[in-house]
Order: sequence, then structure tokens, then C-alpha cells
Amino acid sequence: MKHVIIYTISTLLMCAAPAWMYAQTPTDAIMMNKGDICFGLIYDHGEWDQYWQGKQLLKNGNVGTLTRTTVLPMFAYGIIDNVNLLIGVPYVKTKSDGGQLTGDDGMQDLSIALKVELMEKQLWKGKLYLLPVAEFSTPVSNYLSDYQPYSLGLHTDHLSLRGILQYKLDMGLYLRGSIAHLWRTETKIERDYYYNNGSYYTEWMDVPNAWNYQATAGIWLFNDALKIEGNYTWLRSTSGDDIRAWNPGQPTNKVEVNEVGGSIQYRIPQLPGLGIYAHYSTIVEGRNMGKFTNIGGGLTYQFKLF
Amino acid sequence: MKNILLVFLSVLLLGCISSCEMELLTRVDYTDYEFSDLDEDGGTWSTTLISTPGSIVVAAPTDVTSAAYVSELAALKIAASRLNSEQIETIEYWTNNPILRWNEIALELAAKYNLIPAPNPDGTYTLPSSTDPGRYPNFPFAHPAYTCRMLAYLSVAQFDGLIVAWHYKYAYNRANPQQVDNTVPSAYGVSNLPSYPSDGAVIAITSQNILSAMFPLEKGYLADKAAEHLFSLKWAGLNVDSDINAGSLIGTEIAKLALARASTDGMSKAQTPKPVSDSIKAAAFDRFGWQWDNQETPVRPVGLTPLFGKVKTWNLPDVTLTRPPVPPAPGSAEFEVAAKELQDIQDNMTTEQRRIANWWSDGLGSYTPPGHWNKFAKDFIIKYQINPLRAARTFAYMNMAIMDAGISCWDAKYYYHYPRPIQTIPGFKTILGTPNFPSYTSGHSTFSAAAAEVLAYIFPAEAAICRNWALEAAESRIYGGIHYRFDSEVGIDQGIAVAQYTLQKAQADGAD
Repeated sequence: MKHVIIYTISTLLMCAAPAWMYAQTPTDAIMMNKGDICFGLIYDHGEWDQYWQGKQLLKNGNVGTLTRTTVLPMFAYGIIDNVNLLIGVPYVKTKSDGGQLTGDDGMQDLSIALKVELMEKQLWKGKLYLLPVAEFSTPVSNYLSDYQPYSLGLHTDHLSLRGILQYKLDMGLYLRGSIAHLWRTETKIERDYYYNNGSYYTEWMDVPNAWNYQATAGIWLFNDALKIEGNYTWLRSTSGDDIRAWNPGQPTNKVEVNEVGGSIQYRIPQLPGLGIYAHYSTIVEGRNMGKFTNIGGGLTYQFKLF
Repeated sequence: MKNILLVFLSVLLLGCISSCEMELLTRVDYTDYEFSDLDEDGGTWSTTLISTPGSIVVAAPTDVTSAAYVSELAALKIAASRLNSEQIETIEYWTNNPILRWNEIALELAAKYNLIPAPNPDGTYTLPSSTDPGRYPNFPFAHPAYTCRMLAYLSVAQFDGLIVAWHYKYAYNRANPQQVDNTVPSAYGVSNLPSYPSDGAVIAITSQNILSAMFPLEKGYLADKAAEHLFSLKWAGLNVDSDINAGSLIGTEIAKLALARASTDGMSKAQTPKPVSDSIKAAAFDRFGWQWDNQETPVRPVGLTPLFGKVKTWNLPDVTLTRPPVPPAPGSAEFEVAAKELQDIQDNMTTEQRRIANWWSDGLGSYTPPGHWNKFAKDFIIKYQINPLRAARTFAYMNMAIMDAGISCWDAKYYYHYPRPIQTIPGFKTILGTPNFPSYTSGHSTFSAAAAEVLAYIFPAEAAICRNWALEAAESRIYGGIHYRFDSEVGIDQGIAVAQYTLQKAQADGAD
């Protein structure tokens, strides 16, 4: 199982009108062995020219097309064969070509994830895997969450617990499902009164917790050098308000996302340890969210420390 | 493997702890308090809407030994003695200074209705209609001009109503329930304030009627609030039915007078049709050679309330008295200095500048700058344990000064019709949204300076902090990139000048 670990960026949830979060979610079932190290650099370009105000899809000439660029340096390490550590901290830049509001840019949240392979079991003509993942993230700069749709993120501490179940046939085909719950702390804003279905007299905003589900089908080809997969991702806030008419979003919004995506990953046989990666995703249904399309790619390099 | 599980479980635990919700306040945090003074002579203070308190006739109450009163008191004693938890919560919510709660309700409605109309699919805009308030965009659009006027009518009516109440309280001197029968429970401690007519009822009915006119879609909500408030007066052991009926009568009459003034103050003409708006713009261009144009997509054909500057003022005799001097022409050396400052700030925004810009932004969806100053006033009223009458006086003078300042500011805005920084500085981008009205002078600065002057007069120990807040509010618009420094500085001077007329009236009203 000496495969390169990749943060599947198709599930980076980059919202918009309520541009909110960037959850780098280690959602795949790949494990590295003890002592393996992987460095990666991933680039992503997301944009939308329509957003959902509540469930109503709108264009806003004062935003035009919003673009969100992410550069994610990442690091993964096999602590032991069954336990991997993943660390990433993205740089994000936002801007739009309409209206007169300025974009933002800076380092966003440091994310640390621990992935454990609890089970690997032979079943019929393949193997069944069960992997829990715990992920914690915390902001590393003082970007403002209450600056929609240009804010870099939600500026909260964030904990997610994910369960991944994968069945992989020996011939390379696999199916995977994952369920995660995301807990977020409140976010500090720069005003002490706001409206969230009523008055709030505080500098803190409640950021809704959320459920995230993902279904994936993929295949390993050419002696496990090439991986191709497609996925469908859902995000559901467990509470929150809708963006009010022709008003900016805010971190309290109830966000829903249905997204389709896919990725390709290739390990270059002639250059051991080096991998290239590309992804595409598009949001097909949403609520209080920009109708993002994301495209990106990156390089990974893996080697054995000991 | 055990260690790993341990780590996993501790991460989980950490997560559970950090996800524990902190309590987020949904209203101003205060409880009932003992008043620093009862202002027994309050019935002699000057009124604004009525000539004398006696012009609202309130009949003498029955004697406390009469059969009618004895039976009312018996009913009150039962009501105040058998409280369920919901009734206790209601009493704790309204407190013995319920004017603060009604002000808070007014601010919440302002924030709820402060939504700018969206464009139609064909790029046109529909305006809210007072005759069809439920059609999108709902009536009202509670922008700063609307909100400052709403708060002024609410506060002035409450104040006049309470002066009338005080007049009759001390004319008739009906003992309060606890003075008649010391076994009647009192939720807020025993007071020496005569109970007839009920000041709480004056506040409830005045506020309900004014706010129902200002927010017609909220009539049902406001009726429920007022009914709950009136019930709470009995549950708290404050007032018998006849006290409440007399207070309600005053509230009804004073609200009628306030709304009669509001119906003819010129506000209904403030949002002009496009030809009128165009002619105002052309007049400015002829005079000065510049004009402000809305920069939104699609363009809003008419700015916000071009004729708000013609609305009837409270204490300022004539808006031209406080009309500021001509601003520097776009392209002039003085203008270029101001424009360069804005560009420099946007290019090198500090954390503190961003915080100040956002702290005072009070933009769309918020309770507006007048709302922000009402919040400060509430905090001071609680800090200094002011009684409802003097609290009403604070709100009334402050909100009259704020509205007069808004009218004076709007007069300057549409007389000079000065372009905003995003119009004059090519490629200029800002951290705050630019409002849909001309630049000169800054509304935030004018509103804030006027409010600060009144608060400084009423709370002298807070004068320095209030004036500093006003200066910071003015500065915040420069950091936000939506005003030139001269808009803000002249706006401060203008607000101070406007407030003097209200202060003259306050200083002579008999309360000092």
C-alpha cells in the first residue's frame, strides 16, 4: 500500500456568496507505511457567477464572477503502518470582477488529521477497509469571516470525525462511502450587533455544525500507477439562517451543497516517489452558497524516512 | 494501538468540549433596578407634541377605599401571587424600565427591515409601497433616514406621554398597591411613584401604536408584545386595571398626535420619482460642475430619499442654517490629497483600521448608525439607573437631534450631489459597500456628532468617550473607503451645529 496520499480537493468545500469554509478533508482510504513521508503542493481555482440566496439561485452584478484561488502545501507521515498524520495549511485569495468590494488573501487554517486503518479484511474478490479520521483545524491568520462572499474561511476552530468504508476489488475497481460530522466553534466578528432571525448583541457568531457525506467510485489501472475516480459529495448544516434578500451572507448561514467531481492521480513509474494529480468539481445544488466550479492539480513526492 | 486509540479519544473529547456553545446574548442584558431619582416635578417639563399635559384629559381615579378599587386590588393580589415560571420570565424581561425593551424592539425591527430592494430580472427596481407593504420589496426599507425618523417619533411620543403621566401621577397622588396593602407582592421592590396613571401602560400603548405605523407588517407581533407588557404590569404588582386603562388612554392619544405630525412631515415625498431626482442632480451639476452617479449594476435610477433634506425638522429652524461650505472640487489639489489618502489606506489596511471600519459600519441589515447610538444610550441609562421618564427624555432629545442631523446632512448631500470615491478614483476598491446617495457630508459623522453632543449633555461624565466615539465613527468611513476625509470632518461640525438647537430646548425644559 505504498501509495501517495492526496487530499481529495474535490471535497474542499469552498463556499461563496456565503463563501465560507475550506475543509481539507482526508477522505480517501489510502494509507502510508511507517516512516513514509509525503510532501505535496496543490493548486485550486474556484469560481462562480451565481449563488444561492436561501434556495434561490441568483446573479449579482455587484459581484460578477467571484474567483477563489487556493495553494495548499501539505505533508503526510506514516507514524506507524496503521496510523497516518496529515497536515496542511492553505493560502487563499479571493476577488471578483464586478462591483467595488475588494477581495482578500492570506493564510487560512492549519489542519491536522489523524487517519487510522482499523480494519483491512479479505472479502470475496477484494478487500474491505474501515478507516476513522479525526481532523482538527484552526485559523493561522486574522482574516475576517464576516466578509462575505470574499472571506477566506469561517475563522473557527473546527473538528471533524469521519468514518470511511471502502471495498476494493483485486482487479482495481473500488467503491467508497464516508460520513463525517463537523463541529465548529463560534467565530469572532468585528461588530457587536447583528441580525440572525432576531437580534444578537455579541461579537460572536454561531457557525452551524454540519454533516458531510461522500460516495466515490474509482479504479486503479496500469499496475496501480493511475487512479481515476468520480465522487458525489453532500454537505448539510444542522442549523442556521438563510441569506436575506439582496444582502451579503454571513457565517451563521445554513449551508447545503451537492457537488459532483472527479480526480486523476498518476505515479510516474520512471520517477519513483513522484505523483501528479488533477481534479474537477462543480456544485449542482446548494443553499446559501456560491455555485462553484473548481479545477486544480498538484504534485506530490513521497519517500521513506527510515 | 492502545496509545493511538487514546489519542483518538482525547481528540474527540477536545472536540466535544470546544463545541460547547457559548451563550450569545439576544437582548440587552439588564434587570430591574432602583431608580436614582423619581423626578416628582416631571409633569411640569416642556412637551413637544402637545401644548400642555392637561390637554389629554385623564379623569380622577377612584379613592383607594372605594369598592371599585378594593376589588381591583384584590384581583391584582391574586394575579401577582400566583405566578408561573413563564410569567416570572415575562416580568424579568420587561423590568421596571420597559422603555429600554421597546427601544430594543424598535432596533430589531430596523435591522429586520433594513434590506435594499433587489433588481427585477429586467434590470429595473421596484420600490417598497406603504399602501401594499407585504409585496416585495416589503415596506419599509428601514435605511438610516427611515430609522432615525422612526426612532424620533417613538421617543418623542414616549417622552410626551410620560410627562402627561407624571403630571397626573402627582396631581392625583394615588398610592401604589404596596402602599395601600403591603401584602401585595411587588416584583421590582417598593417604589414611591404614584401608580395612576400607569407609566408602563403609557409606554406599551404609545410604542405599539407608533411602531405599528412604522412597521405595518409587524402589527400582530407588536400587539402581542404590548398585551404581554400590560399583563406583566399586573403580574409584577405594579398597577391595578384602572391605572393601566388611564395609561393606555394617554398612550393612544399621544400616539395619534405623533402620527398626525408624521403623516405631514414630508417623508412620503422624500423618495422622489426619477425626473425629480434628475433635476436635483442637474441643478447641482449646473452649480458646481460635478454630480454623483450610482455605481451599482444594474444602476439604481434614484438615490436614497433625495428629498429627506426637506422633511420637517424638530428643533433646527431651517436646514440652510447648518448647510456646510462648498467641498473641494474633484481634481483640485485639496481633493487629490484626500483621494490619495483613501488609496493609501486601502493599499495598506491595518488590522485596527479594518476593525474600526467594520465596528461602525452599521450597514444594510443592521440597526443603522442611529440604532447604534440608541444602544449606547440604553447602556448609559442602565449604568446611571435612570427612571423611565428621564430615560424617555434622553432618547427623545438624542433622536430629535439625530433626525435633524440626518435632515441637515441629506440637504447637503443632494444640494452638493458630490461623487463618491468609487466614482472619482479609477479602479478603487473598498472593504465597505458604498451607499446609494451622494458623498458630502458623511451621514455617520453627522448622526454620530449630534448624538454624542446630546449624550454628553445628559451624561457629562461620559462626554469625552461619546465625542471620541463620534470621531471614530467619522474616521471609520474613511477607512471603509466610502468617504473622503472632508466628508467626515465637515459632517462632525455639521452634527455638532445641528445638536445645539436641540440642546437649547433641552436645557430650558425644566428637567435640569
